[in-house]
Amino acid sequence: MQSQSIIITSLNTVLTTELTSINQYFLHARMYKNWGFNKLNDQCYKKSIKDMKQADAIIERVLFLEGLPNLQRLGALSIGEKTEEMLQCDTKFQLAQIEQMKQAIVVCEQEKDFVTRQLLVEILDYEEEHLDWLETQEYQIEQMGLEKYLQAQL
Amino acid sequence: MFVCICNGITDKDIQEVVRNEGAGSVRELKKHLAVGKDCGSCVKAAQRIIDNTIIDETLFQNVG
Ligand code: FES
Ligand SMILES: [Fe+2]
Repeated sequence: MQSQSIIITSLNTVLTTELTSINQYFLHARMYKNWGFNKLNDQCYKKSIKDMKQADAIIERVLFLEGLPNLQRLGALSIGEKTEEMLQCDTKFQLAQIEQMKQAIVVCEQEKDFVTRQLLVEILDYEEEHLDWLETQEYQIEQMGLEKYLQAQL
Repeated sequence: MFVCICNGITDKDIQEVVRNEGAGSVRELKKHLAVGKDCGSCVKAAQRIIDNTIIDETLFQNVG
């Protein structure tokens, strides 16, 4: 019982981040769309929907472990004003989330909850992929210059 | 970036009020901006920006 509640607590922190992530990426997606940057819109829109699916999986796992998933708590959104800043905000967000997920995975290992661990590893895998995409964008901006980069996003 | 999402207030808006109006706390900031007047989740971040702006200003004055 005791060990289960540690798992539930850490699943709930991961859930808070996913719920925050849904909104952050959704807003960024539609800001890009409003400016006509359709490629960035598509990428962020998909990320947001994926976050919702990840949140769903966590919610189901918490319920299965007989805990109460916390859908009340939401983290602070980090919303940029322009493309470059938005990408930076997302990068910072991903880095913090990846760190948090690793901690949660360590908790699962200590508690020998390998099913929850697997769920978290799958989420972590996707989050790292998105961080990689963000780093690619920043590299491209550096190489092409912002103007050319933005032209390629139409 | 946007610090207060509820009211669409950016870090630059806050910095401006600190520099031009001398706001040194969130309470003083609120006299000029609607920051933190809804959900309140931005108050910590707003305070951090006030503090950093004041530090920057002081350093600038010391050099000058
Ligand atoms: S984010 Fe500032 S009051 Fe809600
Ligand atoms: Fe996610």
